[in-house]
Amino acid sequence: MTTVTSAPAGARITRAGRGRPRRHRPRLAPWVFVTPFLVIFAVFTLVPLLSSFAMSFTDFRATDVQNPLGAHFVGIQQYQAVFSNPQFLRSMLNTGYFVLVGIPLTIVVALALAVALNNGIKRFRTVYRVGFYIPVVTSIVAVSTGWKFILQPNGPLNAALHVLGIQGPDWLSSTTWAMPAIIVMAVWRNAGTLMIIFLAGLQAVPHELQEAAMMDGAGSWRRFWNITLPILRPTILLGSVLLSVGFLQFFEEAFVMTNGGPLNSTLSITYFTYNQFGFGQYGLASAASYILFAAIALVSVIQFRTLRSRD
Amino acid sequence: MLDTEPATATASAKTAVRQGVTTRRRRGRRLPFSQLLVHAVLAVCLVLTLLPLVWMVLSSFKTQGDILSDPTAWLPAHFTFGNYAQWFGPLNIGQYFTNTLVVAAVTVAGNLVFCSMAGYALAKMEFRGRGLVFTLVLITLMIPGVVTFIPMFVTVSKLGLLNTYASLFLPFLATPLGVFLMRQFIGSIPDSLLDAARLDGAGEARIFTKIIVPLCKAPLATLAILTFLSSWNNFLWPLVAAQGQNTYTLPVALSLFSVGQSATNYALLLAGATLVILPVVAVFIALQRYFTQSLVGTGIK
Amino acid sequence: MFEKKRVAVAAGAIVVALTMAGCASGGSGSDPSQTAVSSGKASGTIKVWAQGAEAEKLGELAKSFEKENPQAKVEITAIPWGAAHQKYQTAIAGGSTPDLAQMGTTWMSDFAAGFEKVPAGLDTSGMFDGAKSAATVGGTAVGVPWYVDTRVVYYRKDLAAKAGYETPPTTWSGFQEMAKAMQTKAGATHGILLPTGAVQDDFQGLLPFAWSNGAELTNSSGSKWTFDTPAMVSALQYINSFFTDGIASKDPNTATGGTEADFVSGKVPMFIGGPWETGSLVTAGGAAFKDKIGVMMIPKQKSSTSFVGGADLTVFKNGANRDGAWKFVQYLIRPDVQIQFYKLIGDLPSQKAAWNEGDLKSDPLLQTFKAQLENAKTPPATTSWTQVSAAADQELEKMVRGGESPQQAAKALQSAADGVGLSK
Repeated sequence: MTTVTSAPAGARITRAGRGRPRRHRPRLAPWVFVTPFLVIFAVFTLVPLLSSFAMSFTDFRATDVQNPLGAHFVGIQQYQAVFSNPQFLRSMLNTGYFVLVGIPLTIVVALALAVALNNGIKRFRTVYRVGFYIPVVTSIVAVSTGWKFILQPNGPLNAALHVLGIQGPDWLSSTTWAMPAIIVMAVWRNAGTLMIIFLAGLQAVPHELQEAAMMDGAGSWRRFWNITLPILRPTILLGSVLLSVGFLQFFEEAFVMTNGGPLNSTLSITYFTYNQFGFGQYGLASAASYILFAAIALVSVIQFRTLRSRD
Repeated sequence: MLDTEPATATASAKTAVRQGVTTRRRRGRRLPFSQLLVHAVLAVCLVLTLLPLVWMVLSSFKTQGDILSDPTAWLPAHFTFGNYAQWFGPLNIGQYFTNTLVVAAVTVAGNLVFCSMAGYALAKMEFRGRGLVFTLVLITLMIPGVVTFIPMFVTVSKLGLLNTYASLFLPFLATPLGVFLMRQFIGSIPDSLLDAARLDGAGEARIFTKIIVPLCKAPLATLAILTFLSSWNNFLWPLVAAQGQNTYTLPVALSLFSVGQSATNYALLLAGATLVILPVVAVFIALQRYFTQSLVGTGIK
Repeated sequence: MFEKKRVAVAAGAIVVALTMAGCASGGSGSDPSQTAVSSGKASGTIKVWAQGAEAEKLGELAKSFEKENPQAKVEITAIPWGAAHQKYQTAIAGGSTPDLAQMGTTWMSDFAAGFEKVPAGLDTSGMFDGAKSAATVGGTAVGVPWYVDTRVVYYRKDLAAKAGYETPPTTWSGFQEMAKAMQTKAGATHGILLPTGAVQDDFQGLLPFAWSNGAELTNSSGSKWTFDTPAMVSALQYINSFFTDGIASKDPNTATGGTEADFVSGKVPMFIGGPWETGSLVTAGGAAFKDKIGVMMIPKQKSSTSFVGGADLTVFKNGANRDGAWKFVQYLIRPDVQIQFYKLIGDLPSQKAAWNEGDLKSDPLLQTFKAQLENAKTPPATTSWTQVSAAADQELEKMVRGGESPQQAAKALQSAADGVGLSK
């Protein structure tokens, strides 16, 4: 029943003067450490989770709030309704597009920034760290006005493209280009967070290893690929999972910039769910939420499998 | 599932490097030129990154009239501190600032303590239910936040906590994100360090405080920043949980005074948004130097 | 009022726990509602929730109320418009409502179950009919109109004159001709700014045209949606013609302050808006610009019918001091208090009697609003309206930008609305 990670019992010498017979309850320690989190989780998350999950199997609507038991159990009807809703199907497509392009892009950008800041330069690091992190910190309502300004048909972005001889489209009004614009904005807002996570992880790469490799004549790319990356694996996994959890739920950028348009081209699953809650369709919206959760879980499992250590 | 011990990774990396060495020798030391290049690229990226923010800050010194009459202008036609004066004066931003600060500080403290404890247990201790707890952590992380909102509110209400500071931070005192983060980082600390300590008779508490925590400066700093930020910018929960204006936080105040039924006072909003960012940036600047602290010592004693 | 959701809503949406909400709202005030407001002064603490700027100014009115009712104390909590809907929703679910609230007219049916019926003794006979119907859900008055607004056409008087129109035409065809003339003769890029369905509540903003053509949203008994009707189709055709003829842009400037900037610069000298726009235009164009601002009623086909919005005063069933709340309501709808409120904040009074003084009587812009208020309606007070409205926005966008024909749009909207149904 009990296995303890520490050294075999016989070798333990209680000579630190603690005298406490820890052997009697060797497995209390882990629970002491975990309990505060568990309590908060159970009270504020678990119960709400269970009740909202139950709701996805009923026809609960906003008008049932005063009389919750008046709602009827309808089995998987809400889930069926969600899957046969063309708007929802479109939102699944959009969300997939967003995730498949946005996540690798953000990881690459963040990794490049982190490595550049960590290894590439020695001075002004603080300036860059702060500068690249600031987009994360800002209120989206405030920056959206700035971004809309930049993305206007005759705005700075198109002006810059014009210099390069490219005719920029009306970004936010184009069904083809609205989503790429949203993705760029999302990368802009999130690369900073991933950057600091990678920076923290890069601290685990020992200097002397890098120097030894340099002495052996390994170029920077090879050093990065063979030394840095493997050590960074768990951090990349962390970043990738956090990013996908966030990106699969993307909502704010589309909400502020395009209202899910034009013609639903930037409608996300969360946005669809938000609308349904707004209509008072609580049962339907819960079902959509848990479908999203299943997607998030699936993607995370895939990431755990592919990015786990090969050692 | 996913831990990589630096020791083993280091070994394999070393062999890989040895095998991959080409005969063409490169200069062993970086020349300043390559650094200059990186600097140049980074500087350009930085300027581009900060453009929307520059617009935002510049516009906070415009009057609402300026913004409405020429939204595409960069510079204020009539430079004014009026928006800021309003926030510090009649709108009394100080009170909301204090509320937000208290809530954020407590949330950060709670997360630093509880998440590192739970992360340590999940990473380095074996106990029945470890897998289950970790799975719970991951699942909670993945649940769309929208779905648990009102039930959370009803819970807080039934606990009699409405309109106290406690309701503002209690549900967020230990987040699954924090636990996940700490677990990943602590997982990369070599077991041998801990085993040696246990051999010496140290208890878990001592190992935790004397070994783990000092080694976790970088991830703890990361956690502090992320938690501070999400607490600072939290809008919907503080709005819904507060029963009176005196417990409002900054984002609520920002929306309250800038966004009208049909029109938004953009000048006021942008000024407020600029003010709201400053403390987070300050916290970030203070903590970011920990990113250069080494996570693992050079040797294993 | 059009509901505007701000993105600061992080979580954005809400779920109610089955058992939890049940526990929370069980056993709460199901006292019989009053049939008349009791006589005598108000007493006790009256908890009021109000939004934004109204909350601020309400404080001043509350002070005078407290002078008249020394035993009473009014406690006002200001909540942001940006998430007020969620705030009320959670409050009702969690059983923590105030006594009195300022309720946006489009939210009445959402929360009607939590409101107390307006006591029979409370006199609302002097109020605009449209406003009163907005406060009536399921045949019962559950709120009292506090302030109102409506939609009219804002146009540049000087540019219209340049285009040859000293007085604006009132017919549909004349209206379109004037818009076109502003482009050809007065240098406008587009004659008018019309909603395209890309933004929430865009379709709602075009309802005045449908109503003015005699189209109704439901049948007379209110049991069925009626979108696929000749009147609606021809209204859609009229609207679409502005886009197909290039009079209205299919990609209007939705940037911050874009509408006002374009109006001031003359690029787009007409748009449909509410009374607050006067203030925004003066802010954008300067005080001297006011002379160039003209408003006209919605162009008339069978009638000139516009949209009425604003806010209602509602008393919650679960409130602790409902009697005091109703007394405060009575105070707030007194014509003299309404005039005072208008002077403080500029919201238009719901009492017709209040329009006999000062600006409200003499300002031609405001007088147009008053005339329009006499002919204004709201969409049906049903919780399904938000969803149908969203579907309508979709079809409108498909028509304007996707090339769908007005007939197809009406049919598609009818089937979408039928799918949602009409719940009370």
